[in-house]
Amino acid sequence: MRRFQYLIPRTLDEAVSIVESYGERAKYIAGGTDLLVKIKEGKLRPDYVVSLKRIPGLDEVKWQGSTQSETRIGALVTHRKLELSPVTRWHYPIIHDAVSNIGSVQIRNVATIGGNLVNAVPSADGAIPLVALDARVRIHGPEGEREMELLHFFLGPGQTVLERGEVLTEVIIPPRNSRSGGAYIKFGRREAMELPIVGVGVVVELEAEGDVCARAAIALGVAAPTPMRAFQAEKFLEGKEINEKTLDEAGRIAAEESKVRDSVRGAAWYRRELVRVLVKRMGLKALERAKKAEG
Amino acid sequence: MEELCVVGKPIPKLDAVDKATGRALYIHDIRIPGMLYGKILYSKYPHARIAHIDVSKAKKLPGVRAVLTAEDIPPFKFGFYKDNTPLKGGKVRSYRDEVAAVAAIDPDIAQEALDLIQVHYEALPAVFDPEEAMKEGAPLVHEENRSNILKLPWKMHFGDVEEARRKAKYVVEDRLRVTWVTHCCMATSGCIAMFDASQNLTVYSNTQIPSLAQRDYLEALEAMGLKGKRVRIIKACIGGAFGSKLDTYPYEYIAILLAHATGKPVRIVFDRKEEFVATSGRQPAIIDISQGCDENGRLLFRDVRMILDNGAYTSWGATTPSVMMMPISSLYRVPNVRYEAICVYTNNTYSQAMRGYGNPQATFAIESSMDRLAQEMGMDRVEFRLLNANGPGEVTPQGFRITTCGLKECIEEVRRRLDWGGPKEKGEGVGIACLIHVGGGARVYKSDGCGTIMKMDDFGKVDVFTGATDMGQGADTVIAQVVAEELGVRIEDVKVIHTDTDVCPWDVGAHASRTTFVACNSALGAARKIKERLLELASRQMGEPPEMLSIKDGEVFCKDDPEKRLEIGKILRKAHFSQGGQMLMADFFYDPANENLDKSFRGNLSMTYTFGAHGVRVKVDEETGKVKVLKYVAAHDVGRAINPLLLEGQVYGGALMGIGYALTEQLILEKGEVMNPNFRDYKILTAKDAVPIETYIVETMDKDGPFGAKGIGEPGCVPTAPAIANAIWDAVGVRLRELPMTPERVLAAIKEKRANSG
Amino acid sequence: MARRISFLLNGELVEMEVEDHWTLLHLLREELGLTGTKEGCGSGECGACTVLVDGMAVNSCLFLAADVDGKEVLTIEGLAAPDGTLHPLQRAFIENGAIQCGFCTPGMILSAKALLDKNPNPTEEEIRHALAGNLCRCTGYLQIFRAVADAARRISQEPIEVFPRRTD
Repeated sequence: MRRFQYLIPRTLDEAVSIVESYGERAKYIAGGTDLLVKIKEGKLRPDYVVSLKRIPGLDEVKWQGSTQSETRIGALVTHRKLELSPVTRWHYPIIHDAVSNIGSVQIRNVATIGGNLVNAVPSADGAIPLVALDARVRIHGPEGEREMELLHFFLGPGQTVLERGEVLTEVIIPPRNSRSGGAYIKFGRREAMELPIVGVGVVVELEAEGDVCARAAIALGVAAPTPMRAFQAEKFLEGKEINEKTLDEAGRIAAEESKVRDSVRGAAWYRRELVRVLVKRMGLKALERAKKAEG
Repeated sequence: MEELCVVGKPIPKLDAVDKATGRALYIHDIRIPGMLYGKILYSKYPHARIAHIDVSKAKKLPGVRAVLTAEDIPPFKFGFYKDNTPLKGGKVRSYRDEVAAVAAIDPDIAQEALDLIQVHYEALPAVFDPEEAMKEGAPLVHEENRSNILKLPWKMHFGDVEEARRKAKYVVEDRLRVTWVTHCCMATSGCIAMFDASQNLTVYSNTQIPSLAQRDYLEALEAMGLKGKRVRIIKACIGGAFGSKLDTYPYEYIAILLAHATGKPVRIVFDRKEEFVATSGRQPAIIDISQGCDENGRLLFRDVRMILDNGAYTSWGATTPSVMMMPISSLYRVPNVRYEAICVYTNNTYSQAMRGYGNPQATFAIESSMDRLAQEMGMDRVEFRLLNANGPGEVTPQGFRITTCGLKECIEEVRRRLDWGGPKEKGEGVGIACLIHVGGGARVYKSDGCGTIMKMDDFGKVDVFTGATDMGQGADTVIAQVVAEELGVRIEDVKVIHTDTDVCPWDVGAHASRTTFVACNSALGAARKIKERLLELASRQMGEPPEMLSIKDGEVFCKDDPEKRLEIGKILRKAHFSQGGQMLMADFFYDPANENLDKSFRGNLSMTYTFGAHGVRVKVDEETGKVKVLKYVAAHDVGRAINPLLLEGQVYGGALMGIGYALTEQLILEKGEVMNPNFRDYKILTAKDAVPIETYIVETMDKDGPFGAKGIGEPGCVPTAPAIANAIWDAVGVRLRELPMTPERVLAAIKEKRANSG
Repeated sequence: MARRISFLLNGELVEMEVEDHWTLLHLLREELGLTGTKEGCGSGECGACTVLVDGMAVNSCLFLAADVDGKEVLTIEGLAAPDGTLHPLQRAFIENGAIQCGFCTPGMILSAKALLDKNPNPTEEEIRHALAGNLCRCTGYLQIFRAVADAARRISQEPIEVFPRRTD
């Protein structure tokens, strides 16, 4: 691998000032599973690699006892920590669905949710469930702190809004009502080590009784240059009973909304088909989980 | 049946302990003092003239010891068609063409040096479709030829296919396509080349063909002006082969040239991307097949025509038709068979041997067509196969003399275990496909032989020097087992050495699943000689005639009076330490009594044939096209299982490789460039994809096999694709004719069927 | 650009200088001569380079050497006891036919160890999930699953300490 200098700052401000001063010659490293591959392939040639791993306070899951309160996930939390956490397992199963299948155990032990988001690939399994949960992100930079919606964090494949020196520090999941559930599926040719042909995450919030949809969120991966929401399909479901028929139609609308392309991994027509089918299936699963998750 | 001590037992592989503790040394782990690291620069175009190469900056980089291009090396052509050179000069014909090579003191410097080499190319029109490349006016890949079609003799016709076609009541025709897949050995390719003070060559190698590689390297040395030298090949632990080491690659010659240029050992090891791009995988094919049967379902003819994308240079892929003839002429009883294969140069990658060597490709076509024919006449697909199944003692149209044959039993077992004809859920289906493969060696070359030298020392320990190659399949262990069984010693006392051509005798190579059959028979030949002499010595010392003596657990004892016994070590020490002392050594060269194929391709290629049937139950998700394998049964007639544990490993591994071939694997080339040269996008199956495979073995006790055994290395991956294709048809009524049968292709077929039946 | 690190390697304290850009894989194979850990792809896609860091399975090809400072590393060479007694996982792999060419074996065994250390009685599904990042081309995985289950049985009958830790 090409030589670089490895710097291990102890505070966030120290890290930010290093990267701000070196500009393009410096890159942050969290887990390293994306960055080191790019350096090996010659796609990135930093002179300085700045570790975020020894900065305290970035790797905690702050759970306040229920999904009806805000939950915060530090950017340096590993996928494995999320996979094994009771918080995702019992309360945000849509996140568990995604993180438990990212790469392998070896990758998940070091790769972080923040790194996954900042890498900004259209397929990001880490991003889709969070986008479906209306997550926000917190950013720390030379000018101070800012917060924004995760959906708008991505500008294009591999591109985010982060300015020079800025660090993603936290993911914030807003409160939901008590009858909400979500599910995510990554569709690929094999059962592991896959980058998805499409990824579909659905979150539904039900009215106080019955199966009527109060709000729905449908997030799609690899259906556009960045993670997207199928807003028209969501609007269609609002106020309607969630069942196979309505989900079928929602899937059809979401497929129309998506901006799928042909690629080595799959043709556009096939991706559209998958969106249609998987929105329906994840919607049903989300419904089931919403009904179980009372209180 | 006699009671055996060691043969037939699940003995763990002899080198497993070294592998489990990290002691085993692969090429990547070997360091030689002064060793340099070699790297290769590949072409940036699929077809172009090399206008100019500037290596001056690379040569000046500190740490670089040699930079070679075609200009620096003697003109030297190698390969089956003698159309390949170690470094390409004048023009490049594919993205994997080797244009320059560097040796440096460490791999990073070598890589940096490659980046400093400037090559000026002038692009030429290229051709990537073999059917296009066959046409007049297509760009010529090798300009010295008048056409891109290779002059190869792959034409066979036994009986009268046209006449049979006229007589047939039912006829089906199909075109099928199979594409490139590759071995994906977990260890990447590599070798270390070094010369001694007298310019004799030693190569640390992964080769499956040590004796033939010696010949290849000697030819190179001659071209380099080094005549009459010795070549020594030392095999490191091989990290997977599956046929990928059956031909000598350009990189091996490059290592030799760099070692000669620098006077130092040079190691070349591929990275994973190079492994995908610059090694040769399975031969793709466009297959046209038609078959016909009479009103009772008896096969009357089989007519096959193939177009093979030969890529830019020629390796064993161009000879796969010689093996494809085997299932075409001899899988099931077909009196009239015709086959023609055309190999065409293109600017794509080229192929060589891969487990099955053409049999999986041909069997995909034959068994898909068999299913179609059964449907056409309304006969049950298993009944149709039983009706036409081969039986013991038959001679096929190609002249294969079938000795033992457990095919019918295999088919029936598969039918039983799959609950064929039983209830099925929606989207479920069952399929079956059978196989024939050589099981008793294969006289591909003029020799099919294997040599063994055996010695027994003063402590009763046996050393077996064999020409055979162990590449993880267990050759070392089964050889030790048959020797231990024959000699009556414990397996712990047998050591098998197969790693050094200075010490080991000749063998034609680890191909055609021949190793168990040929190498074990060879070892048995030597063991019998040793046993005879040992009993002679014992007889003199114990005062009993040799026929009254038996050997077990390292002791010779009297059959009538077991208390009268002598430890082997004692017998040998006495024989050695005396006047006119003797040591105990024997050699044996076993060359099976099989035949070369004659000019019409007729001949008994193997001493015996391995048969089998695979059955599979699948569930097809009709909305996404995803195929899930619910149950997989692999039944084989293996003659005898010398080691059931290792045999199972061959079947499991072969079958999963075959399932990957059927469903998920493809090397994607776009305009000659490999688009998925990594494990992320080339989908070999993971632990989560592994399918529970039920194995069933029929032991037909072949009279020519060592303790009755036949070969099993390749059969596991031969009928997998058609078994699955046939099950998909049963499940959702669509016939997939192209591999891999990805969810996208399955769904497209389902939609097309719905649209047509509209 | 070198730094001094100290870490426990197979139970022994190691203090040395490492270059910033070295991976843990390079450190083990090239600097310390421990060639049991293999490079299969260099990009975290095959698992052949798996070692345990603080008990967690990681791809050493994507782990910076500098980051093992203060940590415990276990490689395949450290699994058997100092007197050579094999770990139950090693014995189980050998006896169940789970090793053919052996190149994936060190990584596979260590991934299995990480699993059994936390989950002594895994289901087959859990075994597959734990080994999903270790590719094998030879065995078809089935004998590997049997070996892991077999090892789990052996371990629960004979609790062992893998190596005594040196505390000087």
